[in-house]
Amino acid sequence: MKAQVGDYASTRVAVTEALLELAAEDERVVLVCADSLGVMKGQPFRERFPERVIDVGIAEQNAVACASGLASAGLIPYVVTYGVFITMRACEQVRSFVGYPGLNVKLVGANGGMAAGEREGVTHQALEDVGITRMVPGMTVVVPADAGQVRQAVAAVAGVPGPSYIRIGSGRDPVVYPDGEPFTLGKVKVMRSSGDDVTIFGNGVVLPRILRAADILEGDGIGARVVEVHTVKPLDVDGVLGAMAGVNGAVTVEDHWINGGLGSAIAECLCEHGGAPMTRLGLKDKFPESGDPDPLLDKYGMSVSDIVNAAKRISAKGATIGRR
Amino acid sequence: MEPIRTTENAVGPSADEIRRFAMQLRRDVLAMVHFAGDGHIGTSFSIGEVVAALYLKIMRIDPTRPRWEDRDRLVLSKGHSCPMVYAALARRGFFPVSELLRLRKIDSMLQGHPDTVKTPGIDSTAGPLGHGISIGSGMAIAARLTGRDYYVYVITGDGELEEGLIWEGMMTAVKYGLGRLIVYIDNNGLQSGGTIEQVSGLAPIYPKLQAFGWHCQEIDGHDVDAIIQATRYAEAVTNKPSCILMHTVKAGGVPFMAGDNSWHKRVPTRDEFERAVASLDEMDGRLEKLEEHLEGAEAKR
Repeated sequence: MKAQVGDYASTRVAVTEALLELAAEDERVVLVCADSLGVMKGQPFRERFPERVIDVGIAEQNAVACASGLASAGLIPYVVTYGVFITMRACEQVRSFVGYPGLNVKLVGANGGMAAGEREGVTHQALEDVGITRMVPGMTVVVPADAGQVRQAVAAVAGVPGPSYIRIGSGRDPVVYPDGEPFTLGKVKVMRSSGDDVTIFGNGVVLPRILRAADILEGDGIGARVVEVHTVKPLDVDGVLGAMAGVNGAVTVEDHWINGGLGSAIAECLCEHGGAPMTRLGLKDKFPESGDPDPLLDKYGMSVSDIVNAAKRISAKGATIGRR
Repeated sequence: MEPIRTTENAVGPSADEIRRFAMQLRRDVLAMVHFAGDGHIGTSFSIGEVVAALYLKIMRIDPTRPRWEDRDRLVLSKGHSCPMVYAALARRGFFPVSELLRLRKIDSMLQGHPDTVKTPGIDSTAGPLGHGISIGSGMAIAARLTGRDYYVYVITGDGELEEGLIWEGMMTAVKYGLGRLIVYIDNNGLQSGGTIEQVSGLAPIYPKLQAFGWHCQEIDGHDVDAIIQATRYAEAVTNKPSCILMHTVKAGGVPFMAGDNSWHKRVPTRDEFERAVASLDEMDGRLEKLEEHLEGAEAKR
């Protein structure tokens, strides 16, 4: 039975399902892991394509450097392990040996964000993965909404030569979209629109919260547009500006530091195109902690009421500062 | 001795010719670094003979097809030694010799450290120490998966072995039984800050290599016959990777520089440059003077 909106489905299983399909069609596709095949639910891939799993052991720098060598010889390696280790332990390998030579290495980082950190705590929560990868020239950076979108994103980046990073979750990830919802790499998606007071940009695990906030706002007479920005880089500038047309301001919500990720990307875009009142919700210069996903998001500034209040502030502020 | 392999594009494969090629490359490196005002002479010179042997005899390459899928690869893990490899690439025809005088200049194909996109014949970006064995392992695994028979050669430094990633890569190469991965270790005993013993707890090197399960050999890294023979033995080992620990002299080849660690990254003055090339010319008066290309190189800017 297909997972329904509001259920949970594993983004990790989704990666494996997508790779099985890709690998069946394209013999260049290989999976590189760092003793992470089990936790990434990649066993079916190993059963089907045992020769095409390269497991280098607990050695993420080695995994990414090895992937650089594989890609330089024409293969399409997907490096699949924890996002913190890909983007920080192997940061130099990602930047200098994948990004700099522009190699066709596809990075897939699990435990993206605080909520997807499997209660492991700060050391295993990828809180800066989007910011780090976004700074690498030529890197495509994607934060898909849910398992169904991950499946499509994994396939979509295969069609874009060059490096990419896909952030995925814990394996118990909220289903945001009905099964079969299309995914278009590089394009924002307007999920809901109930007026032209404020635009709320978000991605990943926080999207259901933004939708709930938009319902409350509508009840309070404030029209909100909810815009999913799964592709943080390259940013769909026209899509972002289009979603801002006529509104008073913007709110961004992301399970990431407010620096470097989606909030920064939107702020840069808006500042360079005339400016708009905006506020960023996310982690604010304070390390979080272990815990269940929803209470964590509530505690660290991404509750539904946080989003509602921010949207109301921006709506009011926009009215006084001047409309775009 | 029989030829190692069919090296259809190799020219002048005699040991004498390789020795002379190494001297030519050293002369080029002197001119490059002198005119660039920057670069690593000492660490380039210690790999002169192995680079000469690789590009003149050992590697299956085609200068007209730098991306040829069946070519042998060289990963210069000690990327700061790239002037020596740039010289070899130019002398083998991958790009004009006059380009060598554009080292480290703006708009040049010759970056301070190897760039696989900009420079024809450079098989991997390199420079941050410790990466070559991991990258080379990826290339060797790819050869197996794609049914190609190329070899992957890697040159590392000895101080470079202090990087943990080296040993991660060594484990992977053993796990996958990469018989077509051959690593030369430039054991000149010196690193930027002093001797290996002064700076680190690395020594002894050879037992560590053996303990990691590699096929190991130890040679005089300036002895062309030894390099070729050791490579031949390494290529005969098909079920595990091979390393060749080469005893070398930093800045070796020019008597007044040899063994002097100040040449790690020192730029020769005009006088030092002239003395150094004179000593090489004395050994072989047929070396081509790279600086005669200077006018053309400057005019191209």
